[in-house]
Amino acid sequence: MNPGHDDDLDALLRQSFDGPTADGGFSESVMRRLPPRRRRPSLWPLAAGILVGTVLCALSLSGSSLWNAAWRGWRVGDGSGATLIVLSTMAAMSLLALAWTLAEADDH
Amino acid sequence: MADSAEQARIDQSLVARALRGDDRGAFEQLVRRHQGMVRAQLRRLLHGDVAAADDLAQETFLLAWRKLDQFRSDARFSTWLHRIAYSCFLQASRTSSWAARHAQDDAMEQLPAPAQAMDLHLDLARAMRHLSAAEQAVLLHCVQLGLSHEEAAYVLAMPLGTVKTHATRGKAKLKTWLAAWHGAAGEERIP
Repeated sequence: MNPGHDDDLDALLRQSFDGPTADGGFSESVMRRLPPRRRRPSLWPLAAGILVGTVLCALSLSGSSLWNAAWRGWRVGDGSGATLIVLSTMAAMSLLALAWTLAEADDH
Repeated sequence: MADSAEQARIDQSLVARALRGDDRGAFEQLVRRHQGMVRAQLRRLLHGDVAAADDLAQETFLLAWRKLDQFRSDARFSTWLHRIAYSCFLQASRTSSWAARHAQDDAMEQLPAPAQAMDLHLDLARAMRHLSAAEQAVLLHCVQLGLSHEEAAYVLAMPLGTVKTHATRGKAKLKTWLAAWHGAAGEERIP
């Protein structure tokens, strides 16, 4: 065998590999540690929650003078203090939701 | 090739059964079918540390169980498992004391080799350990585990061109280091 040739080198490498390991109780040990699989939650409660939350949020803010001022400013393209406060709050809430989602995905 | 396609079909059917009815029996068959190669892969990556390799293999199958619904049949199930195993290995080598122990082993390997080559296999093992980690990983997956370059690229999360380059460079280095055996061609017969 001449390890200077590609085919011979490949054959030599394959021969130096021990091949598959015998089970020796490994599979049973894995199966004993297997947790019950978590079912993927259905999406409709999440969608319904988002919808209900949005409606409640809109109802509770509809009487707020800050919200109304921000909305008026937004419509006329005026970056008033109220508009900035509301936009900053929305951005902060979105970032918190994103961080929470990423943390949950990491845990899974 | 047909045999390989048949094996892939059986794996897919077992995965479907495991997912459909939360069938642990089907998953156990998958474990039994693939544990040998996954453990062999990890033993090689961990340079023969059997206990650490088996711990990582357990982790690999537990992860596979949890992520089974993410398996897409565009890759073979065995390739998907090798990819999870390699990710577990990378994560463990970043965080555990194994990497430090391995570095010590490598330092010992740097000691001068005996002037007289005693055995082609010993020389090959020694030469393999002097390749870069990426070259060792590519040769392990492409030659010893029998994956295609594309599959090795998927497992190692490397671009296809990088895999081919590492394979070529690794083999060229091995040929250079084993050049002394050229003269012995024909004398060495490996059963």
